[in-house]
Amino acid sequence: MRLRNLMTGTALAALVATGAAAEIKIGASLPLTGAFSIAGAKHQQGYELCVDLINDRGGILGEQVDLIVSDNRSDPATAINQYERFINVDQVDAVFGTFSSRLSFPVASILAKNNYVHPVPAGGALRIYTQGHQNLFYFQPDAAEYVGSSLTTMIGDLLPEGERPATAAVVAADDFFANAVEAGFLGTQVIDPADGSVVEDMAPGYLAEAGIEVVFSQKWPEEGFNDWLTLANSIKRSEAELIIALTASAEEAVQITRALQTVRAEPMMVYYSQGTQAEFHEGTGDASEAILMHTSWHPAAPYMGQLAGEDFSNRDFVDAYQAAYGAAPDEDAAIPFAVCQGIEQAIIGAGSTDNAAMGAWLYARTADDPVRTILGRFNWDERGLPLGKPFLIAQWNGGELQFVYPTDEFPDVSALNHPKKGF
Amino acid sequence: MAAIIQIVVLGLALGGVYALMGSGLSLIFGVMRIVNLAHPALIMSGAYVAYWGFRLWGLDPFVMLPVAMVILAATGVLLYKLVFEREAKSARYSEMTVLLTFAVAMVLEGALATAFTNTQRVTSPGYATDAFFIGSVFIPKGQLYAGITSLVIIGLLALFLKFSRFGYAIRATTQNREAAELLGVNVNLVGLVSFAIGVALAGAAGSLVSFVFSFFPSKHWEWIAVLMSLVVLGGMGSILGTVVAAYLLSVVAAFVGFFFGATWSTLTFYLALFVVLLVRPQGLFGEKPELA
Repeated sequence: MRLRNLMTGTALAALVATGAAAEIKIGASLPLTGAFSIAGAKHQQGYELCVDLINDRGGILGEQVDLIVSDNRSDPATAINQYERFINVDQVDAVFGTFSSRLSFPVASILAKNNYVHPVPAGGALRIYTQGHQNLFYFQPDAAEYVGSSLTTMIGDLLPEGERPATAAVVAADDFFANAVEAGFLGTQVIDPADGSVVEDMAPGYLAEAGIEVVFSQKWPEEGFNDWLTLANSIKRSEAELIIALTASAEEAVQITRALQTVRAEPMMVYYSQGTQAEFHEGTGDASEAILMHTSWHPAAPYMGQLAGEDFSNRDFVDAYQAAYGAAPDEDAAIPFAVCQGIEQAIIGAGSTDNAAMGAWLYARTADDPVRTILGRFNWDERGLPLGKPFLIAQWNGGELQFVYPTDEFPDVSALNHPKKGF
Repeated sequence: MAAIIQIVVLGLALGGVYALMGSGLSLIFGVMRIVNLAHPALIMSGAYVAYWGFRLWGLDPFVMLPVAMVILAATGVLLYKLVFEREAKSARYSEMTVLLTFAVAMVLEGALATAFTNTQRVTSPGYATDAFFIGSVFIPKGQLYAGITSLVIIGLLALFLKFSRFGYAIRATTQNREAAELLGVNVNLVGLVSFAIGVALAGAAGSLVSFVFSFFPSKHWEWIAVLMSLVVLGGMGSILGTVVAAYLLSVVAAFVGFFFGATWSTLTFYLALFVVLLVRPQGLFGEKPELA
């Protein structure tokens, strides 16, 4: 009898405790192992830091946030299964998006079917936003297909005619994101894989528009490719003045840089789609000097966001990240932090975790009344792509990732280091 | 002509590294009939030994190579005792080892990720990104040194197998385990030592890989298919075959990459795997399986 009473009392106590600690559950499936593990681990840090700071400030609408993170091993099928589990088993109130177009594309259908707001930290391929989903919100400046315009515009704006590259070699990973960026540079059609329809014709391509002739173009397979020296040798033999390497990961950026260094390639300009991470510089050393890349975030950007209803600047984020992890953040941690800020503001704006209301609130944002994050202000078009946000062009100089373009975005702009002097 | 010579040079340079990566796998299969899917993960472990030696104390990967071999050999002994020895007499031993080594690979990956994070690493001695130039043809120093070292290690292993008493025992066990046991060979000890040597070769390969490729814990899954294609083409269990296959496939892949694009160069290895299994399942130097 006493035992039964004890058990009943314990159960009641547990129920009371559960009721007292009302919480908002948020699920995030991330590639913590596998090809995207470097970025995935930093996404986890960005999400966790944001949630910890929110909870320290009293939570959202008075409720603590419980973040559930699962490792999808960089595998699309696993990512789908995990989001279905978040929704059907864990019954999360909201989700944070995953890393990379390859994983975000299949996940988008699941989240749309279940009417969950889908904040996308990394999934720039245009095809994701042309499926007719009404729940997508991209937290980077623009679709990957349009990235190339930032580089060619920069070349036109900053370099006198005689100093501009006239020829280009474009090499790319056979990856969802890299293919998307390549389509913009080369002017190919973006095809919807579901029905073969043309999503957008990027012709003539940003390079052709800028008068830069493509003298070499090649892809390497998504996984298992090791023959970087043969690829670098081919690039060198093309004598291209501009090398555009569209890698799917920072690891690939390290590999191709070391190979180009070994073959002593001497282009006047080098541009990558990945490589803003400290690991890129660690793996390449001085060879990274003057390499350009686009980025969605820079530590010097004086953006003012919001967290827990209060101002929270980009500088605050850098300091908080440094304190939490003992290292300087990069965009792979900053972007998910901004996603978390966006979802927090959506819940507050909607007054609940009703995803329909959250989505409506996010769609209602305007340039004057945007979501405020450490990546700047966000409001979106009907596809879920941000409006009026330029990509930033950064360049490694002296071991530091410097912001070089656009020059009118904010004050701390560095001079473009041009031409590149070997690797 | 210079372009063709260059392709051959690059193929041979890469082949030298693959040869050592595959030879340990081949030795372990030849003696133990273990299809060691954990071999690339063990190579990765050797790469981390070299990386941290370089990072913490500035020790060259070639200095760390024997250290990695000793550490990995000890790991091999431990693995053999814990995982493989008790199953050695099982009728389905080879099939079981596929699952066992798969599990070992998963555990190793998790352990490496926990210890060293998933950040990509690469050891960067000066020669790793330098080259000798002969006219317009370049020879990458890192891969050249790695290839020469691979050949020296494989040569020493061949001498050990051919001329030492224990080498005789290993070869006898490779050819016929039951007959060797009947003739007084301690096949359990041979198995243990062979496994330790094979894993030590993974350690040596890891030291060389550490400055040739960047690596992170889950990278090993990308290597297993390439290594299996080398071992199958060479003939399961034939170290000489693995070495020849490594050079052959690497040169062919370099030609394919140059003339048809990088996308197709990786396919060379998988295509070779299919063709060999269909046309000559025993590989270049393997023995034709007897019909029951």
